[in-house]
Amino acid sequence: MPAEKDEAKEPRARPRLIVLIASFLVSHSTLFSVVCCIAGLIALLLLPVLAKSTYISENALMPGSANPVFSGQDVSEASRLVKDITETQKMGKMTGIEIQRLIIQRMADVGAEVYHHKFHSQSNQFHPFRFFSCDSNSAVTESNSNTSYGLNTVGIIRAPRGDGKEAIVLVTPYNSEYVKLNDALSLGLGFSIFSHLGRVSWLAKDILWLAADSRYGEYSSVSAWLKDYHNPVFFSSENVDANVTHDKDFLNMQNKNMLNGRNVDVFKRAGTMAAALVFKVGEVMERDPRDILTIYAEASNGQMPNLDLINVVHYLAVHRQGFRVNIGKLASLVNSAWLNLVGQILEWLGKLAKNLNPKWNFGISSADYAEGAATVASSMYHQALGVPTGSHGAFRDYQVDAITFSFSPRFYLNNENMQSSFILRGGRLIEGVIRSVNNLLEKFHQSFFLYMMTAPNKFVSVGVYMIGFALLALPLPVVAASLFLNHKATGFTGTEEAKIAFGSWKWLYAAKTVLMIDLWAMFASLMPYFISQIPNITSTESTFLWVALSVTILAVLYVILGSPPYSHSGNVEWQTLKAVMIASVTIGLGLMSIINFATAQIGALLIVPMCLVVRPLKKHIQGALILRALSLVCNLVMVVIGFPPAALLLMKGFSKGFEGVGIGAVWEVAEFLWAWNSATYLYVFLVHLPCWVLCIHILLHP
Amino acid sequence: MALTRRRYWAMAVGSVILRLLFICFSEDLNLGFRPEVATPVTSLRRLAEGYWLKNSSMSPYSGSMYHGSPLLLPVLGPLTVNRVKGLPAHLFCSLIFVIVDFVTAMLIRATGQKLMSTYHRSLQLLNLSCVQETAGYTHVGDLASLIFLWNPFTIITCAGSSTSPIDNLMIVLSIYGACSGLSSLAAFGWVVSTHLSLYPAILVIPVILLLGYGPDAPPSKLFLLKKSNESGGSCPKDKTCSEQKSKEETHIRNFCWRPVLFFIMWSLIWSSYILFLSFISLKEFGGLSEMVKKTHGFILNVEDLSPNIGVFWYFFAEVFEFFRSFFLIVFHINILFMLVPLVIRLRHRPCFLAFVYIAIMSMLKSYPSVGDSALYLGLLGLFANELAEMRFSFFLLCGYVGISLLSPVMHNLWIWRGTGNANFYFATGIAYASLQTVLIVESVSTILKHDRMLRNKLAT
Repeated sequence: MPAEKDEAKEPRARPRLIVLIASFLVSHSTLFSVVCCIAGLIALLLLPVLAKSTYISENALMPGSANPVFSGQDVSEASRLVKDITETQKMGKMTGIEIQRLIIQRMADVGAEVYHHKFHSQSNQFHPFRFFSCDSNSAVTESNSNTSYGLNTVGIIRAPRGDGKEAIVLVTPYNSEYVKLNDALSLGLGFSIFSHLGRVSWLAKDILWLAADSRYGEYSSVSAWLKDYHNPVFFSSENVDANVTHDKDFLNMQNKNMLNGRNVDVFKRAGTMAAALVFKVGEVMERDPRDILTIYAEASNGQMPNLDLINVVHYLAVHRQGFRVNIGKLASLVNSAWLNLVGQILEWLGKLAKNLNPKWNFGISSADYAEGAATVASSMYHQALGVPTGSHGAFRDYQVDAITFSFSPRFYLNNENMQSSFILRGGRLIEGVIRSVNNLLEKFHQSFFLYMMTAPNKFVSVGVYMIGFALLALPLPVVAASLFLNHKATGFTGTEEAKIAFGSWKWLYAAKTVLMIDLWAMFASLMPYFISQIPNITSTESTFLWVALSVTILAVLYVILGSPPYSHSGNVEWQTLKAVMIASVTIGLGLMSIINFATAQIGALLIVPMCLVVRPLKKHIQGALILRALSLVCNLVMVVIGFPPAALLLMKGFSKGFEGVGIGAVWEVAEFLWAWNSATYLYVFLVHLPCWVLCIHILLHP
Repeated sequence: MALTRRRYWAMAVGSVILRLLFICFSEDLNLGFRPEVATPVTSLRRLAEGYWLKNSSMSPYSGSMYHGSPLLLPVLGPLTVNRVKGLPAHLFCSLIFVIVDFVTAMLIRATGQKLMSTYHRSLQLLNLSCVQETAGYTHVGDLASLIFLWNPFTIITCAGSSTSPIDNLMIVLSIYGACSGLSSLAAFGWVVSTHLSLYPAILVIPVILLLGYGPDAPPSKLFLLKKSNESGGSCPKDKTCSEQKSKEETHIRNFCWRPVLFFIMWSLIWSSYILFLSFISLKEFGGLSEMVKKTHGFILNVEDLSPNIGVFWYFFAEVFEFFRSFFLIVFHINILFMLVPLVIRLRHRPCFLAFVYIAIMSMLKSYPSVGDSALYLGLLGLFANELAEMRFSFFLLCGYVGISLLSPVMHNLWIWRGTGNANFYFATGIAYASLQTVLIVESVSTILKHDRMLRNKLAT
C-alpha cells in the first residue's frame, strides 16, 4: 500500500537519539530488567554505607549554646510530687481522679492556667472514606453510648516574651488507674520542668504541659486532646445536659471543679504548636554503662518529624548530658549470618579501594554495617506498617513535629540520690531542647522530612534511598512497552485487514479485564467493614468469611462483565494482558512511593519479580530444559510468595515459629492496619492483590 | 462492535445509578472541596453564597465569592437552600446535574448519528464505502455517549457540586444544533455557554462552518479529484451524466449563507435577551458592567490564584506585578494563535475542529477542572472510526489514570502533610497539560493521516 510506504519512509530519515535509546532498551528488555533488578537490590543493601552523618541545619536552633539552669530545687519539686503520688496511691482512696486533682493543684500553684480535658475512649473504627481526609467534622458526630472516659490534665504557661501565637507542647503519658514508679517519675520530671519554665524569663513560646491519662492507650488520649484543640466544638445546651446526666460521676466532679474560684473545665488554648516532646521514664536497663535514651519518631503512614528535632535531642543527650541514644532496630538481624557476610564483603571492598587510592574512604566495618542494616530495616518496617510508634504520631496529623523519647535508667531508682541525679539530667536535656525550639522563628522546615535512620547520628535521605526503588521499578515500563510493541508487530503481520483497523485499540479488552479485577479488589477491601459489624465472630471465621465472599464476588463479576478472558480464545493475548497489568502496577507503585515510600519499597521487592517473570504455564519458552524448569519454578515460587496472606503467614512463621500461626492472623493484621488508617492496607488491596490475581490469570492462560 | 439497543440503555441507566450512589456518599467524599473538581467559577458552594448575598439584598458579587452568571442564581439558588435531613446538602442540585449529564449524553448520541449518516453518504459518493466496511462499523453516537456517561471525570464532576455540567450541556447543545442545521438552537447554546464561561466564544468558527458546509466530510479536494478522474477516465462521452454528478457534488461542499445569517441574527437576539435578563437581575447592584467585571473579567484577569490543575496559577503567583498584564495577554493569546491554522487545515471537518478547540480551551483555561476534560474525552468517541489507528492510545490512558490519581496525593502532601510543596502539585499540572497536548497532536495527525489514506484509496 502506498500510504504505508510513505509512512515508513518519513521517520526512517533520521531517528532521534532518544528514540534510538528507547528502542535499544525495549529490544533488550530482558537483559535490562535483570540488570536493573540486581542493581536495585544492591543499592538497597548499600544503604548503611551511603548514610551521611546528621547535622543541624537550622541555625536558629543553637543547641547547647546556653547553660541549663535546671537545678536541685526543681529536682526536689519533682521528688515531692513523686512522693505525694505514691502516698495517694497507698492510701487507696482512688476515685479515679485523685492524681489529676493533685497535678492540677500543683500546676495552679505554679501560676499556670489549668484545665481538665475529658475525653471518651473510642475504639478505632473502620471508616472506608477516611483514609486521607483530615476530617474536621467528625468530632461533632460522636454520640457515644460509651461512658468510659479519661481525664487529661493540661497546664499552660504564657510566655513573658511571646505574643501567644506559638506554643511548645510537653506530654507525659501515665496510667491513671495504677501509677507505677516510672509513671510517677515521668510526671515528676514533667512537673519539675513545667514549674521551672514558669520562672524563666526567656520564653517566647507558650508552654503546654499535657499529663495524658493513658488508661485507654497513650495515643488515643493525646489524639483526642489534639482534636479538641484544633476543632472547636460549639455544644448546644441540650447536648451538654445529655452528657452530664449520663454519668453522675462527672456531675459530682463538676461541682468540685472550681479551683481558686476558676472553672477548670473550660478548654483553653495557646498558639500553633511549634514542636511537641513526649517523654516518659521507661524500664530499667541494667548491664549498660550509661543511661539510655530511646527515640521513637515514626508517625502514621511513614511520616517522620523534621530531622532537626531528632538532631537537637541527640546532640544534647550525647554531648551535654551523657546519655546513650538508641533508636529501634530489628535485633534478630544484627546477628544474622548473611548480613554479616555482606558486611564483611563490603569491608573488604572498602579496604581494597583504600589501597588503590587512599582518598576513597567509604569503608565500613562489618559490625557497623550489620548494626546499620538492622536499624534501617526497623525504620523501614515501622514506616511501612504505617502505624505510629507512640503518641507523637497524633501530632504529625496536624503537621506538628513531635518525637517520643523514653529514659531508661541503669539502676533501680528507689534510691533517692540516684533518682535526683537522673531527674536532674533528664530535666536539663528537656530544658535544652525547649530552649532550642524556643529560638525558632518559623516552623521546622530547614532539614529533611523524608529520611531513614541507620544510626542515631546517621541518616539516608530521600535522594539516596529512592535510587534503589527507581532501579527496581524501572524495568516495569520498559517491559510493558516491549511486550506491547512485540505484540502489535505480530498482530500486524499475519492477520486480515479487519484486525489492522482497530490494532492500536487492541489493548481495550485486556484493560477491561484489569479494570474488572481492580473493581473486585475494591469490593474485597471494603468487605471487612461489613464483616466487622457481625457480633461474636472469631478472627479465623472472619478470615474464611472474607475469603468466601471475595471469591463469590469475583465469580459474580465474571458472570456480569464477561467470562475469564481465556475462555473464548484469541480475544486477549496474554502479552497484552501482561503489558496492561504491568502498566497498572507501575502506576500503583509510583503512587505508593509518594504516599509511603517504605511500603512501596517492600512491595516492589515482592511484586516486581513476580510481574516480570510471569508467563503462561502452557506456553514454553524456547531453550534448554533447565531454562524451562527454572522459569516454571520461579513462577510458582513467586506466585506463592506474592499472595499477601501467604507472605504474611510465612513472615510470621519465620520470625516466631510456625506453631502459633493460624489463618486468623490475616484478619488480625488487616484489622490492625485499617484501625490505624494505614495506607499500606490500601496498597495491599488495590495494587498488590489485583496484580497477584492477574498473574494467576496469565499463568492459567491456555 | 455494534451494541444492542437493550445493552446500550442498560449501560446508560447503570451510569445514572452510579451517579446517584456517588451523590449519596458525596458528604464523605468531600468532592466539592477538591480543586480538581470545583473551580472558583463553577463551585456550587460559591453559588449558594452568592444566592444568600442576593437574598439579603447585596450584590451577589460582593466579597469576591461568586463569579458565575447572575442567571444561574434564580435557577439553582433556591435548590441550594432546600435540604432534606440526613441527606447531602446539595442533593437537589446534584439531581439536576444528573439529568443535565444524561441530556448531554443524549445530545452527543444524536450528534453522532448525524455525523455517521452524512459521513456514510459522502463516502458512498466517493465510492469508498469499502473503507468503512473493512474498518468495522462503530456506532459512534452510542460509543461517545457511553464514554461520556461512564467517564470517571464526568461522574466526579456530577457528584462534586460544580456547575460545569451546565456549561458542557450548552456547548454540546450548540454543536448539536449546528450539526442538524438548527440555527436558533446553535445560537442559543453558543450564547449561553459564552455567557457562562467565556471561552466557548471561539466555538463560533466551527459552528459557522458546520452550518455553512454541513457536518464532517472528507476534504473537498477528494470530490474534485473524483470528478476529474471520472471526467478524464471512465465516461468521457457521457456528458450529461458527469455534469449531473458534478452539480450534486458541488452542491454538497458549497458554503450556504442562509443558515449562517440566521445564526448571526439569532445570536444577536439571544445575547440581547440574556443581557437584558442579567440587567434586570443586577439592576440595583451595579448593572452589566459589574457583571462583566466580576465574571469574564475575573476569568481573564486570573485574580484567584488558589491551586488548580491548570498552569496559570503557579505562574501568576510568581510573576512580578509589573509584568502581569503583559503575561496575561501572552497567555490568553495562546489560544487565539492556534485558531487560524487549525481552521485552515481542518475546515472540512468542523465537528472535529470543535473537539480540538474544546480540548485546547480546557488545557489553556485560567480555571480548568476535570469537567472540561470530561467533555472533550466524550466528544473524542465521535471520531472513533477515523481515530482507529491513533498512536499512543494506551500511553494516554495510563497517563490520564496516573495523573488523576497522583494529583490528589500531591495536593495532600503539600497542603495536609506539609512535607511537599507547591512544585509537587504543579508538576502534576504540567504533566496533565502535556498529556492533553499529546492527545490533541496525535488526534489531529491521525485525522490528517486518515484523509491521506482516503486520497490514496481514491487515486488507486
